Amino acid sequence: MTSSSPDRAKLSFPVSRYRSRIWLVSALAVIISCVGLISSWLNPSIRYPLRPGLDFTGGTQIKLERQCLDKCTPLKISAISKELQEKTLPEEISTSIPNISTARVQFLDGYKSIVIRLPFLSPTQAEQIVDILIPIAGPFEPGGKAIDTIGPTLGTQLLKSSFISLIVAFTGIALYIGYRFDRTFAFLALIALMHDLLIVCGIFSWLGIFLNLEVNSLFAVALLTISGYSVNDTVVVFDRIREINSSQDTLKINQKVDLAVSATLARTLYTSCTTLLPLSALIFFGGDTLFWFSIALALGVVIGSWSSIALAPSLLTLRSNIKIKE
Amino acid sequence: MARQQGWFALILALVIAASSVCFSQPFQLGLDLRGGSQLTLEIQPTKDITEIQPEQVEAVKSVLDRRVNGLGVSESTLQTIGTNQLILELPGEQDPSKASRVLGKTALLEFRAQKKGTKDEIKELQSLRSLLIRVSNSDSSPDGSKGIEKNDELVKKQLELLNNSLSIKDRAGSNAEQIKIIKRALNQKILELFEPAELTGKDLISAGRRQEQNLSTWEVTLTFNQEGGNKFAELTKSIAGTDQLLGIILDGESISEASVGEQFNVAGITGGSATISGNFTADSARELEVQLRGGSLPLPVEIVQVRTIGPTLGAENINRSLIAAMTGLFLVAVFMIIFYRVPGFVAVIALSFYAIFNISLYALIPVTLTLPGVAGFILSIGMAVDANVLIFERVKDELRRGNTLIRSIETGFSQAFSSIIDGHITTLISCIALFYLGTGFVKGFSATLGIGVVISLFTALSCTRVLLRFLMSYKTLRRTSNFLPGHQIPSSLQ
Repeated sequence: MTSSSPDRAKLSFPVSRYRSRIWLVSALAVIISCVGLISSWLNPSIRYPLRPGLDFTGGTQIKLERQCLDKCTPLKISAISKELQEKTLPEEISTSIPNISTARVQFLDGYKSIVIRLPFLSPTQAEQIVDILIPIAGPFEPGGKAIDTIGPTLGTQLLKSSFISLIVAFTGIALYIGYRFDRTFAFLALIALMHDLLIVCGIFSWLGIFLNLEVNSLFAVALLTISGYSVNDTVVVFDRIREINSSQDTLKINQKVDLAVSATLARTLYTSCTTLLPLSALIFFGGDTLFWFSIALALGVVIGSWSSIALAPSLLTLRSNIKIKE
Repeated sequence: MARQQGWFALILALVIAASSVCFSQPFQLGLDLRGGSQLTLEIQPTKDITEIQPEQVEAVKSVLDRRVNGLGVSESTLQTIGTNQLILELPGEQDPSKASRVLGKTALLEFRAQKKGTKDEIKELQSLRSLLIRVSNSDSSPDGSKGIEKNDELVKKQLELLNNSLSIKDRAGSNAEQIKIIKRALNQKILELFEPAELTGKDLISAGRRQEQNLSTWEVTLTFNQEGGNKFAELTKSIAGTDQLLGIILDGESISEASVGEQFNVAGITGGSATISGNFTADSARELEVQLRGGSLPLPVEIVQVRTIGPTLGAENINRSLIAAMTGLFLVAVFMIIFYRVPGFVAVIALSFYAIFNISLYALIPVTLTLPGVAGFILSIGMAVDANVLIFERVKDELRRGNTLIRSIETGFSQAFSSIIDGHITTLISCIALFYLGTGFVKGFSATLGIGVVISLFTALSCTRVLLRFLMSYKTLRRTSNFLPGHQIPSSLQ
């Protein structure tokens, strides 16, 4: 993909020559993603294209850090589930008695912390769950408790607002590119964007199927950030195509596109690197809250670079000439 | 050159000002970084009020504000989100259940006189109620670990007894559900024995509490306004010395029934004050006091989200994000210096300015820093050098074409400008969409990322340029090899 003979001294990538191969790669990735989304949807235990997390379904998540001297004694998930099954929580005004026998228990960091997923609980009921767990899994670190409770209505609301902000962002970006370039460019940038988001979603749907990974509202934030980044990348390439179009008018469209991609290739790769470096710091040191968020962003950066180097410019060569506002 | 120095001085002054802000101004840390509880409350429409207006949100907020202040949690904040939600933040509070008990209730207080000739009925119902309290306590004994099975038989038997005496036909699966049914039916029966209310919490001026004499239990004291005092005197006079009781009803549930002594049958209890004693603990008396003093909520409120994070988890999150930010900054710096040499070094200085400006703005605006917000900042470090990369690549192109260094730098800046603007604006558009439509931490993330985009435009265009020009006044630095590592021979693109 690169040729670095001393006199050229520049990365180059003849997009038009590899056009069909680029489309094959992208089409395959999109198909695999769609298969993932559909099989997740058909999966009776998920029934959504992506496995929805607490933020979207509503419920309570309790995370407790155990107080252990050296190593934490292993515990059995079944023992904790059994303990919870035998208990009923007292009623509260305006809420019915939650069924805690459906609790899902998980251990993290070598039994150091316990994560329990429960139906929607009131704060008092959540405290009672902690009390129930103390004799079996305690003592717990006093400052190491995290309780998240999200009502079912708020979940749908979050999902709705995530969708709306994605659509608004799309429209805004398309309008801006349409204004700065032309409609074809706006359309192609949106195609590249959809391609990027679809593949990231596809990867996460497969992760949901095989690793039970759930998406939360941070994932929606990641998608929006990816769309900003991906379009940014594409716009830089388009900008160069426009420049070459006006300065070297005699060239064929294929040559113009190849020239523009090669001229911006180093920049695109370097920028991906400088974005991936802090992201990898987040992946390694950011803790479990930010881990999958950073993974999603990193995937978005890689795929976004691909779509702006290869996919969007190669689609442009379908046109016979370039007419852009100057 | 004079203009150059002016710019240089301006940037230097900004950096110094920003660093002093960083050290002097406190940062607003989100609860996920400092520990505490956050409750999201949703105002519920009622039959009468189906559409929630901003005035009603304000009214609910002011009542809740008073209740929160009554709780005595320091630094708590209550803010409106959207059209019908409120977010209450209680920093350092590890147990949100106290707040939730106080906030969620409408606290409608009523005083009702018992209907004549219902003496026996109320006695029977009262004894059934005390039986129910005993039963429900043994069903969900707090230590929970033992005795449930043993008690189960007994609980079931007693519940059956209660069912029969109240002639309840509904049967629920679990004891707890059945207790709920019985409680509801029992309360309904008690309420039926009382006249409709004339005196309510609206007639209250203030509420207090005190420990009952020689007892460990507490009582709640009430002070009525003029009209309320008169009504109370009237009400107590009408039942003084009779068999009738005075029902004290909170949110449609009778919490106690008091008798009024014969000595009040002339004028009633005057003076406009009263006490409620109903086996309150210090905490429950305080909660009722806070609810009554804050007034009743114009609309019911439901808690839709609660987040609690322990302080050590918060501190851990701060450490983690600091390490990630420093590592990210360091890696980007190494990358830029390896690939761009002198301009790379300049970009790193501009990047440090970028970080300082950002952080000082967080303190100034102020932005509440949350974990995703910090992630947004760390991510923006990588994206901030993009403008510099664009410029330096252009400079390289110009050098390869055989242009002089100074000329190449100038051309590089001007040619990269339109790409930089377009790229920044598209990112900004998605930030704005996120900021206006998102809630909570989504807002925090988009705010930090958006601020980063704007500042990076400034640092990449002006700071880098000024610094680069300044460095170019040194002859030793003015070598093409410092800009085009490995490829000194100028070559054209064609």
